[in-house]
Amino acid sequence: MHFIGKEMDQYLSQQDYVDTAVVPLLQLDLSAAGMKSSAGASEYLQTLTALLEKQFKGRILLFPPVSYAKIANRQRIADELSEEMQHTKFKHVFYLTTDSDWRTIDSLKNVLWLPAIPIEDMDQSFKKSVMEDQLRQVLPLFTKEWSHHS
Amino acid sequence: MSNNRVSRRQFLGYTLTGVGGFMAAGMLMPMVRFAVDPILQQHEGGDFVLTDQAAADITEEPVRVDFAFEQTDAWYVSEVTNSAWVYKEGDKLIALSPVCKHLGCTVNWAGDPENPTQFFCPCHAGRYEKNGQNIAGTPPLGPLDEYEVQEQDGFVAIGAVRQNTLV
Repeated sequence: MHFIGKEMDQYLSQQDYVDTAVVPLLQLDLSAAGMKSSAGASEYLQTLTALLEKQFKGRILLFPPVSYAKIANRQRIADELSEEMQHTKFKHVFYLTTDSDWRTIDSLKNVLWLPAIPIEDMDQSFKKSVMEDQLRQVLPLFTKEWSHHS
Repeated sequence: MSNNRVSRRQFLGYTLTGVGGFMAAGMLMPMVRFAVDPILQQHEGGDFVLTDQAAADITEEPVRVDFAFEQTDAWYVSEVTNSAWVYKEGDKLIALSPVCKHLGCTVNWAGDPENPTQFFCPCHAGRYEKNGQNIAGTPPLGPLDEYEVQEQDGFVAIGAVRQNTLV
């Protein structure tokens, strides 16, 4: 499910089934040199999470990307996000990111780091097959997590 | 000049009837057109979307067929890719919607190794028979929806979604 008003009603009535939150973590690099790759990474991450939402619509709630500046303190973001998640009933929280700085943060569980693939120049059908390949690598991580603690 | 001359009174009568008739028609025509308009409307959902899946390659084993169409969401037009599970029952093409009737996940054919002849929903282990019938005891409460499907020039074309007619 998406984090939109219309689907929140359904979420609130089905909280037992929708037990997984997905939070994309998105770094904004607005320097002249980094802007294009940052935008490409954003496109990649949002395409991937949208596909993921389509596959697991009834079990995950996809949040809008948490965007932060390049110099942001990742540890602080991690602490604040996990504190906010304490208010919810989610049993599993996944963070998806293309930002390698997250690999040094240990306090967040289930941070899936994926190297961004530049998909902007691909034609529609090739992009689709590439993204589905990417999705196939992520899906088992979810089903594994679910089967461990279900 | 003929004998049955038109009198002034008659002439005026004909003229007024004629003009009045035109005015009445001018008023009635748009009303009639508005009234029948819903019948003349083309139904967008009835259009078939051609896929690149050859109909001859479809077997009794369901395969995933993708099809793309444009969808307008408020002012935002996007190309949406949907898929269907297509198989043949005898000579008849059957296309089932992959959207789980429980909470809308995407179901997979033979997604569960223990049930290789069923559709499987990975979210909450919902299962469906090949014809879309939901299996009692699993979360889904209804059968998978069905797409209208036909063969166009040897390729599979997928139309509007409707309630399952097979179960």
